[in-house]
Amino acid sequence: MKYPTIFLRTALLFCVAAVTILSACSDDDKEPIATGSTKYVLVTMSDRANSNKPGYISAFNEIPSGNISNITATSLGGFGMGGWRTYENWIFKMFDVDAYSKAIERIAVSETGVVTVDNSILPDQSTFGSGNFVIVNETQGFYWDAASPLAIQKFNPTTLQNTGSINLASAVNERGTDEEAILFRAIGQKFLAVKNGKLFTNITYAKTNGGQKGFFDDFYEDVYIAVIDIATETYESTTVIEDTGSIAYINENEMYDFDTNGDLYVVCQGRSALGTKSKIARIRANSTAVDQGWELNFTDYNETDKGKFVGVFAKDGKLILVVNTEELTGGAAGNINTADIWKFYSVDVATKVFTEITGIPAGTNPGAAKAVVEIDGKILLRGSTNTEATNGYYELNGTVATQLFNVTAGGSVSGFYKITLP
Amino acid sequence: MEIILRVLAQNNTCPVLLHSCKSRLHPGRYLSFLTIIIGISLGPGAQAQPANGLALSGVVYDLQNNPVSDVTIILTSGSGKKSAQTNLRGEFSFSSLAAGSYELLTSHINYQSHAQVVEITSGKATELTIRLTETVQQLDDIVITGKTQTQEVKEQMIRAVVVDTKVAEVQPATLTELMNRTAGVRIRQSGGLGSSSEVSINGFQGRAVRYFKDGIPLDYLGDGYSIATVPLNALERVEIYKGVLPVSLGADALGGAVNMVSKKTTGVAADASYEIASFNTHRLSARGSYAPKNDRWFVGAEAFYNYSDNDYIANVRLGNNVSKDLRMFHNGFESYYAEAFAGIQNRAWADELRISLAAYAIEREQQHPAMMTFPYGKIMGKQRSVIPTLRYKKSAFNKKLHFDQFLVLNTIVRNRIDTAGGSYDWYGNFTRVSGRVGESSQPANSTVNFHHFISRSNIRYHVNDNNELELNVVHMQVKRVGSDPLGPRFLNTTIDVLSVPAYYEKQVVSAGWTLRLFSERLTNNIIGKYYRFGSRGTDAWDAAGANLEDEIVHTGNSFGIGDAIKFQLNDVSSVRVSVEYANRLPEQDELFGNGIWVVPNFKLKPETSLNVNAGYRLAKENITLETNGFYRKTKKLILLIPTQPPFAHYVNLDNVNGYGLETDVMLHNLFRFFTLSGNFTWQSLRMADIDRPQEKWKNETRLRNTPYFFANLGLSANFPKVFFQHDQLKPYIHYNFVREFYMDNIPREMEPDGFLGLFGTAGINKLNLVPNQHLISAGFTYQPLGSHYTFGFEIKNITDSDLYDYYRIQRAGRSFHLKISYQL
Repeated sequence: MKYPTIFLRTALLFCVAAVTILSACSDDDKEPIATGSTKYVLVTMSDRANSNKPGYISAFNEIPSGNISNITATSLGGFGMGGWRTYENWIFKMFDVDAYSKAIERIAVSETGVVTVDNSILPDQSTFGSGNFVIVNETQGFYWDAASPLAIQKFNPTTLQNTGSINLASAVNERGTDEEAILFRAIGQKFLAVKNGKLFTNITYAKTNGGQKGFFDDFYEDVYIAVIDIATETYESTTVIEDTGSIAYINENEMYDFDTNGDLYVVCQGRSALGTKSKIARIRANSTAVDQGWELNFTDYNETDKGKFVGVFAKDGKLILVVNTEELTGGAAGNINTADIWKFYSVDVATKVFTEITGIPAGTNPGAAKAVVEIDGKILLRGSTNTEATNGYYELNGTVATQLFNVTAGGSVSGFYKITLP
Repeated sequence: MEIILRVLAQNNTCPVLLHSCKSRLHPGRYLSFLTIIIGISLGPGAQAQPANGLALSGVVYDLQNNPVSDVTIILTSGSGKKSAQTNLRGEFSFSSLAAGSYELLTSHINYQSHAQVVEITSGKATELTIRLTETVQQLDDIVITGKTQTQEVKEQMIRAVVVDTKVAEVQPATLTELMNRTAGVRIRQSGGLGSSSEVSINGFQGRAVRYFKDGIPLDYLGDGYSIATVPLNALERVEIYKGVLPVSLGADALGGAVNMVSKKTTGVAADASYEIASFNTHRLSARGSYAPKNDRWFVGAEAFYNYSDNDYIANVRLGNNVSKDLRMFHNGFESYYAEAFAGIQNRAWADELRISLAAYAIEREQQHPAMMTFPYGKIMGKQRSVIPTLRYKKSAFNKKLHFDQFLVLNTIVRNRIDTAGGSYDWYGNFTRVSGRVGESSQPANSTVNFHHFISRSNIRYHVNDNNELELNVVHMQVKRVGSDPLGPRFLNTTIDVLSVPAYYEKQVVSAGWTLRLFSERLTNNIIGKYYRFGSRGTDAWDAAGANLEDEIVHTGNSFGIGDAIKFQLNDVSSVRVSVEYANRLPEQDELFGNGIWVVPNFKLKPETSLNVNAGYRLAKENITLETNGFYRKTKKLILLIPTQPPFAHYVNLDNVNGYGLETDVMLHNLFRFFTLSGNFTWQSLRMADIDRPQEKWKNETRLRNTPYFFANLGLSANFPKVFFQHDQLKPYIHYNFVREFYMDNIPREMEPDGFLGLFGTAGINKLNLVPNQHLISAGFTYQPLGSHYTFGFEIKNITDSDLYDYYRIQRAGRSFHLKISYQL
């Protein structure tokens, strides 16, 4: 009888050892994060050498602190991670995770923090700006589809279904119909905003009809914005931002913001990708016309006009901006994207005085990322440098910023947002 | 003789072979090729001509079409037996034979025995052409021309894998499939027949790998003669070099090269094949050549044609998280290639003077952009060229000095047409869009001419039995000029960016010394290389009208060195080590951009790589084994990165360190009839030396879009006398496995836990992952009645598995292929 006993003991020992070894082999890092109804969501762009902008989105139960990784077992990895647009508890990307297609793609976060793709609209892919969108409420939104460049598409943001379109050819054709040098016309390609029941949308008059059409190829030196009444879906008027160019851009960074009082501030990048005549215009809360009595010119910051604005955050009569501290240069050795020359300033709307924000180093061009977000009542600044190990979000108090967390794996930060799960 | 003349006559008169692609793809054209094949195979020339007496004669060649001397030929009939030996020309003959059936058997120490039954018929003289396979088939080494095969095997030192296309030429297989079954080699092919392909050799890919035809850089042939289009019948073999390249392949390859060796002209030869397959695929090839017995001149021609709709089913995304299996509808490919050549040889002033005139044309439908994101329905790419070449070979000083000169001057015309003025959906429905010119973001109706001039000179001097010197000089010039009424213009001008010429030239000078010691048991080859490139053109990025006439000139140069050593341990095994510091020069488009999205960067430097290879090889009668390890440290990889949006430019960016192991085993004569082959490649290629703070975490992560483990298993058999006394059936089955790999860098701790990453799955979201892939294909070839015909049938991807390329582009599912071959 000893033999079976020894055998059983040996077998039992073997099982215990096996379970122990197998348990030890499991990777704790890959365990899903704990559940919770509020998630702080972070996106990073992992490869600057890939124009498809690969990267990761991860969800955290609280605002992270210290050094963190943005690549976990529950992260969503994919393309188009240069930034995002948000509405209430929704996060949208304008380039899909799967293949960097132009899209309106909603991201979902589960209770356990697993990030996935929820749903999407795929517009025409031929032209940059296709899929530029704005949301009015949970059932109403507008976007531009290059398949119908002279119309604005309607969609239901909940179902992400197209619900029709508004033909605005007449608004576009109010000018320039005899200009042979205008090769491409569109409405809503770069700027869509909603305020007080009105839809504001830029009109493109472009000198090229190739791959870059609509970008840094303005025929006119003024920027035209059409105003549409949302309730009646009718075109009302066109207002003008004078002597500038290149309103906003194609990426997730809308390049406009509403102040606490409802005033709308809109960025124009200027005559070229390197700036000149860049300015921020204003449409007052109770108006549908550009406030011709106020504008913030890049020359208000630097008289040489060798740069541009690339975004705006407005609150309580203050604008927070990032501006280039050195003359912009393009090309292989250019500084526009890779050099740490973009610095934060707080600008008083009334006085147009620029006040440097300290505590955060000058970093790289935020591009599609929003440089400033407000979460839990805190104003957070994106701090990401190319030459220093600075890569995270900073909390702004007055004009002093303090780092909240630093991302060590996953790439440069390109968005941070808080959502509450249903 | 009649056979060859008949083939040539048809080639010269047939409009199909030299037909340029002026219209949309047209599948019916293959019928003319079929006519050729039938003509070859059924015409009166297909049979040996009557002669007086009962005699048997023939010629024995190796797989390189070199005549093999000293082969013992044994002819047996009942109890009677006769024997003969081949002479220096590989010829043998028997006379005074009685009519009847004989069994012929060959014997030679370095070649596999060959047996066949020969019918001697009254009133006919029987002539045979026999090709012998070297003892080792799958793995072989560089061939040094001018030596006998026995010497070549002894003198091997620079490692090359030889894909023996002759063995598989009657199978309905493609060259890319054959190469994919080779250890250490993967082909990235983005779709069906004719889709763009590139070779990955030990992780080197893209422009780090250079391509050659008969030792000449392939640039001048565009896509007309590539691994994606060339039929197996056109090739003698394909040599794949890993690490050090021989001096004769003077190129700025970083660590890999592919040399396609075309069939040589010896005596009388003719072959043709036709393959029909799923997706309306048709492939035809025909080749014939003639050289008289005195070998004083030769003449020949070859042609091939490829057509496929490539309308396989793919799972495409329709939006709103809806995807569906739909048939591709604008994915076709058609290509023609024809070449006629003639020359004189074995003269006092020339060993060989060969003149060739080739022409090709390609039409390719573009179904989607680089990734399968959305469909195109009309975008076309075209390419054509007429290519005259000259090659001269001469040896002197009692064949101690060998000189080899190649010249080519041609123009490749490339067209891109994107003028549909609307968009397509995946169902093939077209929607016109007002104001839209094309379908893609860059409409085009371009014609771009690439004027090529290549000169390659090779001098080899055999100092004595122990020493040999070699010098190779490659000079290459390219001029690009074109037009596109829909294309980009220089800033603030109406001047077409393509209308301003851009020039590029490069020289690669290689010198080598081969040393043999200890009765040639030890061989060493040391190689030095000098690289120079120059480019001039206009900066399409900064130019603003006034600067257009100011050409920018940019030049650079660098040096490289390599050494390969081999030691023969005994008669059946050897070890080999090679080390190389290699350079890859920046190309013209990398320096000047493409005038559209890619902007110039004149500060590019050559990529460099330190490559070390070490291997062991065993070649016995029934087993061949080769195992090889490698290490590489590659610096300043030239990558395309975004600059000022929406533009991008090439920069020297990343470093990659890596090592790997590959092993290839082949067991011959298993249970008499079977051959079992298998290989695996495991490689760890990882990012290194990244000092950019945001990307430091990528150090030690795997090189993206690159498989790190793949393996092959194959079983083939050779059954004689299956249905008839003299037939031959060769069934085969191949299994290919590619381990999951990643489309982005993932932290090392997220990689699969299993041994060497071979088990489990990465702890990342699946969107970044290309899953494990299994491909099983099987088929057979059947040669009835010892005839000149062979029939091949194959089912590829039997299990209809999901297959992807390196960027997750979906590849074809199950397909059926039938091929008929004729060989004189």
